[in-house]
Amino acid sequence: MRIKLFCLLIGFLPAVAQAAIIDLDMRPGIRANAEYLVGDRSKPAVLLLHGFLQTREFSTVATLGSSLHDAGYTVLLPTLSLNIPNRKQSLVCEAIHQHSMEEDIAEITRWVSWLKSRGHQRIVLFGHSFGSLQLLAYLNARPDPAVKAYVGTSLIETRIASSSRNTLIADLNDRIEHKQTDLVTQSVSFCNKYTAPPDDLLSYVVWDETRTLKAVKTRPVRMQLIMGDADEMIGRNWVKALQHIGAPMNHVRGANHFMDAGHEFDLLEHTLNFLQTLPVSL
Amino acid sequence: MKLPTSVPIKQIALIFISSVLVLVSLIGGFALHEMRNVSRNLMQSNQALARTELVTAVEHLSNHIKSQADTLARWDETRQQLVVPEYYSYWRDQRVYESGMLSRFARIALYGQSDAILSPDTTKNSLPTKLPAEASPHSPTSWVQNEAGVVALYYAFPVYSDGRRLALIGHGLIRLDYMAELLNQNRFRFTDTASIKLALEPGASLPASDLVKNIRFDARTDPDQIRFQRLFSRALLALLLLLVVTALLGFVVHNRLLVRPLRQLSEDIDAMRQGKFDSSPEQPSPMQISELENIRHSLVNYQHQLRELHGSLEHQNREFRSQARQDVLTGCYNRRAYEEDWTRFREEIKAVPQGVAFLLFDCDRFKSINDTYGHAKGDRVLTLIADALVMALRANDRLYRLGGDEFAAILLRTTPAQARQIAQRCQSLLDAKKFSDLGINEPISISIGIAFCAADQVAHIDELPKQADIAMYTAKQPGRNRVALFGDDVERASQTLVASRETSAVFQALATPNMIEMHYQAIHGLPGREVKYYEALARIRYHDKLIMPAAFLPVVSSRRLETSFDLAVLQQVDLNLSSKQLPDGVGVCINLTAQSISQPEIVSYLLELSRHNTRHPLMIEIAETSLITQVDAARTYLDLLRTAQYRIAMDDFGTGHSPLRYLADLPVDVVKFDISLVSKLEENNRAAQVVTDFARMMISAGYSLTAEGIETETALRKVESMGFSLAQGFLLGHPLPFGQLVAQLATKESDDAHQA
Repeated sequence: MRIKLFCLLIGFLPAVAQAAIIDLDMRPGIRANAEYLVGDRSKPAVLLLHGFLQTREFSTVATLGSSLHDAGYTVLLPTLSLNIPNRKQSLVCEAIHQHSMEEDIAEITRWVSWLKSRGHQRIVLFGHSFGSLQLLAYLNARPDPAVKAYVGTSLIETRIASSSRNTLIADLNDRIEHKQTDLVTQSVSFCNKYTAPPDDLLSYVVWDETRTLKAVKTRPVRMQLIMGDADEMIGRNWVKALQHIGAPMNHVRGANHFMDAGHEFDLLEHTLNFLQTLPVSL
Repeated sequence: MKLPTSVPIKQIALIFISSVLVLVSLIGGFALHEMRNVSRNLMQSNQALARTELVTAVEHLSNHIKSQADTLARWDETRQQLVVPEYYSYWRDQRVYESGMLSRFARIALYGQSDAILSPDTTKNSLPTKLPAEASPHSPTSWVQNEAGVVALYYAFPVYSDGRRLALIGHGLIRLDYMAELLNQNRFRFTDTASIKLALEPGASLPASDLVKNIRFDARTDPDQIRFQRLFSRALLALLLLLVVTALLGFVVHNRLLVRPLRQLSEDIDAMRQGKFDSSPEQPSPMQISELENIRHSLVNYQHQLRELHGSLEHQNREFRSQARQDVLTGCYNRRAYEEDWTRFREEIKAVPQGVAFLLFDCDRFKSINDTYGHAKGDRVLTLIADALVMALRANDRLYRLGGDEFAAILLRTTPAQARQIAQRCQSLLDAKKFSDLGINEPISISIGIAFCAADQVAHIDELPKQADIAMYTAKQPGRNRVALFGDDVERASQTLVASRETSAVFQALATPNMIEMHYQAIHGLPGREVKYYEALARIRYHDKLIMPAAFLPVVSSRRLETSFDLAVLQQVDLNLSSKQLPDGVGVCINLTAQSISQPEIVSYLLELSRHNTRHPLMIEIAETSLITQVDAARTYLDLLRTAQYRIAMDDFGTGHSPLRYLADLPVDVVKFDISLVSKLEENNRAAQVVTDFARMMISAGYSLTAEGIETETALRKVESMGFSLAQGFLLGHPLPFGQLVAQLATKESDDAHQA
């Protein structure tokens, strides 16, 4: 199967070799960019979203995007601005994170709209890690009708340190209520010292397992989760919880959180299989 | 400059050690000089290296700042702050440093599109609220500014929102404490960091590109070099000290081990040379140099052997000395012993004055005895004489044989009377000797001259031998006592003076023959009584006084000057004859000693003189009393002279020991009877008869006889009657000097002519 896919990628390479960097002003002074890989217009366009604080250059999405484009799919690889003009670099944990889930959703919305403006009426959202959560949050908010399906790879909720999330949320709400804008440093996801204003931090913190599972359960589009069974960054019972709520899921044996070390092909295979199962009329 | 031929070993050691020290000092000085050169070169090298190092550091810092600014300009978070500056202060004061974008010596400020700072900095090193004018809008700009002594580097850079640098969203300005960052960024090895200064007035600024030109610095002194130099100097000093100490120790050791033993050896050798070496010191400390100890040991052994050898030689020497001082023939002391003892005695006597007598013995007519009876018997005579004299002397007196028949004795602590008594005892003992046992019938006698020096006259002790000699000749004079004491009476004193004076007169006369003055005494022919010959008689004129033969002939004889004196006499006779002032036909008699007649030079001169024979018949008179030792030679020469028309006369006949032997062996023509015989003729006794008979016998044997000492007419007639052919004496004429004789002859000739 992998050999067939490899041959397919080689065969399609000359025909679909069209790529462009797309810049979009998200907010005043904040311009974000995305790589736009034009594929077969008969096939759905895939919006590939990177993980937490990463860019589209991150290998998991970059490789997959390239492979999907090679497979004839139009691929849009945006880099979330995280409130940084033309962000090109991964944002370190210790940076001042002046971005929020709402702004992320807004930027996803802008890119979906841009795809639609480019004539793509069937859009499949593909997220990796925290990007899966951000796409899920987008779907949970006001998804565009052109979005037909969702693939969440290594889906993860907003993880915090051992302290009580409720307490943190209460503290943040209190700061917000009292207009205390001092930066808060908190262990978030894989960042030990995530520094952010209270409201921005709160926008992510609220996405706990429960809210995520609810969003999965209530997703408005077809969904496919691809999870590695060697992913040590997710909670021990997270996969089981997802399975418990009946989320369609592909397991990649031996794959870690980043689906690398040879598991890119498994990820691609599962993704292509999912894309191929999408009905044309959808 | 003349170098010394030998130098003490101590000086050699000093010179060597001094040379080594000087050499080491020179090497040390040279090393120090080279070390300083190297240090200077290293300092210059360090200066160059420091400049390179500093320039590199400045460039590195500039590149670092540029790189930092580029990174900041491209940093997402920088752009974020220009767009969302709510947390700019946190970003500026904390985030930038936590991210490692800036060092702690740098500050940053961001300026928006209006060139206004996002938020003023209230800290000490605040940045301007407006972007400085030096900043370029679209390119990085850097400059340095002296801010109250602190050199601040400013680096302004534009920040764009996109990678294509189309949308300028603001500027960044980095302020750097340049010197602190320079030192923080670099580890200077060659540059003295404290000396790094920027030649910039406070408040002034200059482009960063001119930074290198205006930076001042000093090269750091290489601590390793300083340490090495210090160590080297210390090592050099330590080496010098060590060498000095070693040299001093070496000198002491050398002095102790080598110089002192060598000096000791040298002193020992000097002591040996001076005969003061004591080879048996009590346990001498051994020398620490085995070779020197061997030398010392050998030296001591050698000294022992030398001492033994010396002892042996001393013993042998004593024997040899004893033998050398002994007369082989007589057993008494010889002349060497005499000279040594006399020298020693004189010193002792001068030191301890005492009466000293010097006795001189001489055998009378020993030579004729020796010649007559042979040397063996002569030697035996001498032995008997010596035995007699030794017997006569006191126990401690020594008898010396001075030579031939002459003996001497030195009598210490004596008086003239004792000396005379001893001398007489000598005579007595000698008279008692029986020489007839040897077949010698003639009496053997000795003449003894005594000289005495009293204790208060030791200053004249050196005169004793001469005085004894004079006294002995006095004793030998006919009719004298055979013992004579110098200074016994006025006559002897006078004789002594004369004798002393005549010795010099003889030698001067020989040197100046004119001092010999010839006197002529007529010899008359008998019976006509006309003058047939003149006997040439020698006198010596000395200080206007005449010295008679009786006075000077002993000197001539004792000094063996007969030949020389006779030659001088012949010269004077020759002069007189050559003057042709004597009447023709009158002969001349010349007295010669027996010794001269056998001398070729005398004979040769006589042959030369024979040219006068044609005018003046010449006759040679040889005294019968003189000893003719070479009879054969004398006979040969006399025969030769006779062929030259000389007549040979035997003078003083009757006074000697062997008159008949001489007559038998020698070609004698004339026999001159001594006055002692002629005087017998006037007596009327047996002696007169003997003489008369003997004269007749001689005449009948063909000899012509001459009578000497004719002083009376009776005697003249007597000899005339007896057949004597010639006569002389005061009756017939006294000896006259040649001039007076010539004058007398001239007067007589004038008188004869006048009478005629």
